[in-house]
This record gives sequence, C-alpha cells and structure tokens, in this order.
Amino acid sequence: MTSLVQVQEIEKNFPLSGGGNYLALQGIDLQIQKGEFISLIGHSGCGKSTLLNMIAGLDLPTAGTVLLDGETVKRPGPDKMVVFQNYSLLPWLTVRQNISLAVDEVMPAMSRQEREAVIDEHIAMVGLSHAVDKLPLQLSGGMRQRVAIARALAIKPKLLLLDEPFGALDALTRGNLQEKLMQICNEHQLTAVMVTHDVDEAVLLSDRIVMLTNGPGSKIGDILTVDIPRPRKRLEVVHHPSYYSLRSEIIYFLNRQKRVKQWQAKPHKTLARHGLEKVNLDLGFIPLAACAPLAVAEAKGFFSKHGLDEVQLVRETSWRGVTDGLVDTTLDAALMPSGMPTWMTAGGHGGPPLPIVTALTLSRNGNGITLATRIGQQGVSTVAEYRDYLLKTNRESHQLGIVHPASMHNLLLRYWLASNGIDPDHDVHLQTLPPAQMLADLKDGSIDGYCVGEPWNWRAEQEGHGFPIVGDLDIWSGHPGKVLGVREDWALSYPNTHIALTKALLEACRYCADPAHWSELSELLSDRRYLGMKQELIRFGNAGDGNSQESSPHSLFFGPAVNRPSRSEHLWILTQLARWSEIPFPRNYVEILERICAVSVYSTAARELGLDDVSYQRGGIELFDGVAFNADDPISYLNQLSIHKDFCVAEIPLKPARVMMT
Amino acid sequence: MVPIPSPRKDSNASPLGWLTRSSSNWLPPLLGTGGFLLLWQLFSMSGVIALPAPSSLFTEERTRTLIFYPFYDRGGLDKGLFWQTLASLSRVAQGYTLAALVGIAVGITIGLKPTINRAFDPLFQFLRMVAPLAWVPIALVLFQKNQPAAIFVIFITAIWPILINTAEGVRQIPQDYRNVALVLQMSSRRFFTKVLIPSALPYIFTGLRISIGLAWLAIIAAEIVMPGTLGIGFFIWDAYQQNYVGEIVLGVIWIGAIGLVLDRLMAALQNYISPGK
Repeated sequence: MTSLVQVQEIEKNFPLSGGGNYLALQGIDLQIQKGEFISLIGHSGCGKSTLLNMIAGLDLPTAGTVLLDGETVKRPGPDKMVVFQNYSLLPWLTVRQNISLAVDEVMPAMSRQEREAVIDEHIAMVGLSHAVDKLPLQLSGGMRQRVAIARALAIKPKLLLLDEPFGALDALTRGNLQEKLMQICNEHQLTAVMVTHDVDEAVLLSDRIVMLTNGPGSKIGDILTVDIPRPRKRLEVVHHPSYYSLRSEIIYFLNRQKRVKQWQAKPHKTLARHGLEKVNLDLGFIPLAACAPLAVAEAKGFFSKHGLDEVQLVRETSWRGVTDGLVDTTLDAALMPSGMPTWMTAGGHGGPPLPIVTALTLSRNGNGITLATRIGQQGVSTVAEYRDYLLKTNRESHQLGIVHPASMHNLLLRYWLASNGIDPDHDVHLQTLPPAQMLADLKDGSIDGYCVGEPWNWRAEQEGHGFPIVGDLDIWSGHPGKVLGVREDWALSYPNTHIALTKALLEACRYCADPAHWSELSELLSDRRYLGMKQELIRFGNAGDGNSQESSPHSLFFGPAVNRPSRSEHLWILTQLARWSEIPFPRNYVEILERICAVSVYSTAARELGLDDVSYQRGGIELFDGVAFNADDPISYLNQLSIHKDFCVAEIPLKPARVMMT
Repeated sequence: MVPIPSPRKDSNASPLGWLTRSSSNWLPPLLGTGGFLLLWQLFSMSGVIALPAPSSLFTEERTRTLIFYPFYDRGGLDKGLFWQTLASLSRVAQGYTLAALVGIAVGITIGLKPTINRAFDPLFQFLRMVAPLAWVPIALVLFQKNQPAAIFVIFITAIWPILINTAEGVRQIPQDYRNVALVLQMSSRRFFTKVLIPSALPYIFTGLRISIGLAWLAIIAAEIVMPGTLGIGFFIWDAYQQNYVGEIVLGVIWIGAIGLVLDRLMAALQNYISPGK
C-alpha cells in the first residue's frame, strides 16, 4: 500500500520582525496511509498547527515537500479540507447555506437536486436536521463544530485535517463529538490528521500518534501506534491493556519536553569554585528507599561539605527519565540501577552507545519479589506452586512488573524464574512499569506480581495487596542495587567534581548504614521531596518495624566491599543483559568494563575520607542455584545457562573518550 | 399579605402610563433643550447677546412666513425653505452617490492589495485633511460652473471615510473566512458576494454614516461661496448680506434638523441591513 500523504524532510522558517528567522519545524518525515487517523500532539508553540497548515497547503514549507496522492501540495484545496478550531462558519449564512456554499463550489458538475441530497445527507449525519435554517450565532459551540464537520465531509475530501476541533468544547459535548467523528471516520474509511493537546482524545481517536518536540526546530520525537481494535467506545478503551501505557507514554513525553524547556530557560553556566570544576549539579533519582544516600547528603550538608554548594536533586518518575536526562545532558549525575551503566554503554537505550561511568555502588540488596494476594489465595506460596499455577492457567496472560530492563530487578527476577523452570519470555510477560504504578496494577489485578526495590514490597504487604514470595537475600545476597552514574565525557571534564561527589555520597552511605539513623532516615525520606509516603512504610531492616537496631540490615549502604565498583559484577550483568537479548554481548567487554568502572575515582575518594581502601576480593559471584560465575570465560557461562534467548556477540563501537563539548 | 390588584395596573397599560414609565427617556432631553431655549430667550431679551430671541422667529413677519409657508415660490431665488433644501439635498445626493461608488470600489481594491494601499495611502491621508471650504476654489477653477463644482466638493469631502472604512473592513475579514475561501478554492465572484461584502458591510456602513454628515456640512460651505445658486447655504449667506439675522438663525436650525434626519435615516438603514453590528 502506498502512502496517501508523504511529508518529506519538511523545514519551516518564519521571518522575525526584528530580522532573522525562527526555525519552527525541522526534518519532519511522515507517511500517512489511506484510512489512517493520525494525531499530532505536543506543547503549545511546537509547530503542530504549522505542520497541519503545510499539509493543507495553507502554508508552504521552507524546505522539503508534502505529497498528496503523489502530487506536491502547493496550495489549499477541497481535496484536503480543514476543520478549524473556531469552526469558521460564515455568520451571515444559515447552516444549510454554509454547507451548500462548499458543495456548490466544489461539486458544480452535480445537478441541483443531487447537491441538495448531499447537503441533507450530511446535515442528518451530524444530527442537525432540526437546525438547518438557523444562523451559527443561534447554535451552541458543539453544534457549530458539527456544522463545520458536516461541511468538510460533504465535499468528500481525500484527507480531512482537524485543528484542535474539540478544544473549545465542554467535556460532555467533546466526548459525544469524538464518538460521532470516530463513527463517521470508520464508516467512510476517512484519512484524517488531527492536531490536539488532549492525551485521551489522541489515544481514543488515533491509529498513530505523532509527538512533536519543543521548538525551535521541532522534530518528531516519537510515533506511537495505538493497537486498540476498532470500533472503539470511549468508555471501553480505558479497559484495554494498552490504554494506560500509551497514555503514560505520551504524558512522559510531554513532561520530558516541559522539563527540557525549563532547563533550557534557566541559565546553566558551569560554576567553578573551591578548586572544583563545577559545583552546580543536577542529580537525578527516582523515589525509592535506595535514594537515601542522596537525600542524606542533601539534608546533612555532605554535598556542601565537599564543596558542592549548588546540588539539586531532580526527582524523576521512571528510570527512563534518568536515561533521557543523561543523554540530553540535563542531568549531571544520577542514581541508577546497577545494570544501567553497561546497558547504556552498549547502546541498550536505543541511541548510539553512550559510555557511562560509575565510581560508587550506593546500595546493595533492598529488593524483593511480590506476588498478588489473589494468587496466594489460590494456594501459591512457593515458586514451584507458582509454576504449577502458571501451567494450570496458561490460557490467561500473566504479567509481572519490573522497573527497567537494566535494573537488577529484571535480571534477578528472570534469573530466579529461569532457574525454577519458568521461561520469563514465554510463560509470563514482563512489563516495565514505574514503581508507583505497580502497586496500583497489583491492586486491580492486571499484574501477577513484581520485582522492585523497597518500600514497594513492604508497602504491598502492609496494605494487603501482595505477599513476598522470595527476598533478594535468597537469590543473591549482597547483589549490587543502585550505583552512581555519570557520562564518561562529564567525568573527564570535571574530574575533581566527580571525586567530590563520590566523597559526599560515600560519606552519606556511611551515615545511612548505621541502624541508629534508620528512624531518622524513614522520616527524612517520607518527605514530599523524596518518596512522599507514610514513614511506617519505609524501612531498612528486616524484622519488626524494620528500623530497630536489633533487626538485621536489609539494604547495605556501606561496609567492606560494598561501595567499590566491581568489574566482575558488571561483567555478570553484561552476561545477563545479553542472555535476555537486551544488548548483544560485547566482544570488547574488557574495554567496556575498563571504561565503566572508575575504581581510581572511588579509591581517591575513599583515601581522602580516611577510609581504609585495602585491596580486597569480593567473593566469587554465585547465586542461589549454585552455578558459579567464571569472570574469565563469560561466554561459556552464558552458554551453560539453561533458559536464554538467542543472544549474539558483537563489537560495540565506542567513540574514544573525550571531554564534553560546550 | 396578599397583593391586591390595584386600579393603577390598568393605567400602566394606557399610553399615559407608558409615558410615565419611560419618563427617564424623554424627560432629560426635553428639560435640556427647553432650558437652553429659555436661557437664550432671557439673554436676548436682556440684551446680553445680539441674536434675536427664539420667540421672535414667530413674532417677526419674514421668519414667520418662512416657517409657515415652506413651499412658496416667487421665482428666481426667492423660494420657500423646502425648495431651498431640496436643491441642496439633490446636490448632496449626486455627490454622495458618486463618493459611495468610488469610495467602496477603491476601498475594496486597496483593502485587498497591500501594495496599492502603500502606494496611495499617504496621498489619501493628505487629501483627507483638506477642509471642504478649501476645495471650493479648486472646484470652481476645475469646472468653471457652480453646479458641478458643488457636486465635486461634496464628492471629495464624503469619499474619505467611505474609502478608508471600506479598506479597513476588507482588511479585517477574519483569517478564518479567508482560509475557508482558500480551502474551497472559491471563485472571486463568490468570494466577493458571499464573504467579502457581508464581512465588510458593517465597516462600509460606518463610513457611509460618517460621510453623510460630512457631505451635508460641505454643501453649506460650498453654497455659501457660490453666489446665485438655489440652496440652503446661499439662503443663509443672502440673509447675512441683507442683515436678516432671524433668517440666519432659522436657516441654521433647519440645517441642523436635516442633518439629524439624514444621520438617523442612515443609522436605520445600517441597522436594517446588518442588525446588531
């Protein structure tokens, strides 16, 4: 099938009144198939209406072309009819005259009777037969928009263009009109492009949603395919499994755009002070108990103590925000899952490989696997019982939540499932969800369980929605949890800042590790700036309220062999990421590990803090199933694991390390 | 308490009741005008001003004749006020019609074509500022005769508000309507009749209404300096030459009244054609 509309490398410049140009759109490429419904979404001023106008021919691109049915669009015409936001009915003509004006103009070959029939048909289609002789001023906004839609459809355009058609309407009218439009589009196999700022409207109506980045030079940020079957009903689509993930995808995108805009709006000069190259840092984190060292370093003044006067903690809602923040350099450093440095360095995030350096492991353990209470009620209390349960109910789909493909949760959960004879890709389906969303999904039964960091396991148990099936101590006690990650070019540009940051956080880790501080930590983290939840739900130990000094520590923040970045651990992570095809196994893994693990930064920081940096060897890596990991021969290790995807081995082309371009 | 239907309710429905209720509408203008006339009367009688008192318009022989016999015709220029006015009005009608036709046509042209607008705008703005009286000698030089010269003065005075308002009206056609026309690829004729004219009509009428007042102002100025023409303007000038002050006052009142009627007529027409604008 060839495309009805082809937008090719469009660029649009507007001359500014004070001279110069404003680059509104850049490099827009879009193919629209016949019968497709496309939405354009983005923040105000991102050029979505400009793009629509260029498809309509009301505006011409500065560079590039728009093809409709293979012909270049040079001027507007009735074959690409526009429904404008403010209806654009002529106020001196009645409903019928407004529509007939269009029909008479566009279909002069028809007889008068035929034209009358077309007009009547379309007035009836939008349900306005009772108002044919009214003037637009006598109609409500919704009725006027229906006239505008009838006018557009009456002339049988190849392409229907809608510019925020329901933006000015109240919610009830909007909902009704959306259904009406959807029904008409389905019946007549219309091809349509709609500009909107309403996320739900976009998901409800579209086959594909085109998301535009902020101007100047707006581009297509991403295109989402809406896989909800038609015909759709407004009240039913919300129950489709894809609905909320699509919705949250769009909202994530729009929020990200907003954050980038805010970041660009404020001045961000590099402030050098106290012999440090940069003291104003934006540190990303997501609300988890493991963010304790960051919160403590901020609250207890460890950042300032080591000269970092202007550190700002940036709370992201998902790890994806952290990844994007590092890619577009809006974040200086971030708390990240321990798999993320290798994953991003190998290009797992989808972009070109971006070397990420870690100088500090911030926490170990602190994770667990929770299953929903309703599964426990089916008599499932061990993994073997869960396997039988899956076999019994294999017709249903079983979803398990993970926070990120590169997090230890994913790797531990998969390892645990696979070692127990459950294929994590066939027997269950793993879904990436933000932690806060998991609890809600567990509650409403759309997922079986999840593997996540505290406090989300403890909270599910406390609130009665889930039960712990296995703790991370029983899978791999002492596994790396969260690490500090920075871009390699950042580390090279600000080496002393990197050391100071490592020192501040290492000191904070030491503070967090003392059980005497746990109550205080719970209180600190319950603040809205960090986790924003009840203090009782945040615990660091295993027994009782979790904060008494007698209980055994669950999360490890500090201690011998806790904080030093370990090459063998990152190598194990590489094997697991390759095992599940998140990345190819890098042939140049030695180089990658060398560049990821900034052991020297850690050593300097620890020495300057007066901590014993005795060289030590962590015990070899061996998980609960007793399969030893031989760091000298990772490929054999991979091959010996029973369940795995078809992994490949490939060279990851890394650019040579260099300082940041400013 | 149950309200008892009062007999006054019936009187409310009667014309008298209506007058009483709407007194806030008619009472202030009546008091204002009456007070002004009374002051005038007092000042004239006490000799503070040299103008004759309003009452003298009826007591004096000449003005009484003019008031009560507007249709008399003694030949030459000695005619009743009706004939004087009719002569002036017919000149206004000719000049004004011409101004309306040319003004709307040129206004639409410059409204549609920004380049033509830029070319002629300074000229128009300049000519607009020339007072009607200043046109009179030019008109006389141009046309050599009184009648066409007077019509030209009306034309040149009345055209500017029409032209400028029409052009503005065309420029103010909402982009949405233009877009509709563009998308439908409307023919120019249909665009003209279905979009341009209806959209610009309120502006055109504003121009027409301002111009009718200006035209009436201009005709007086033109006639005053064109001796030997029948018309209300020369009537006043003639009365001044012969020192009939009462006649001058009467002429002025007559002019004001006609001007007011013309303006109201235009307003009514505007309201009829494009209500609510």
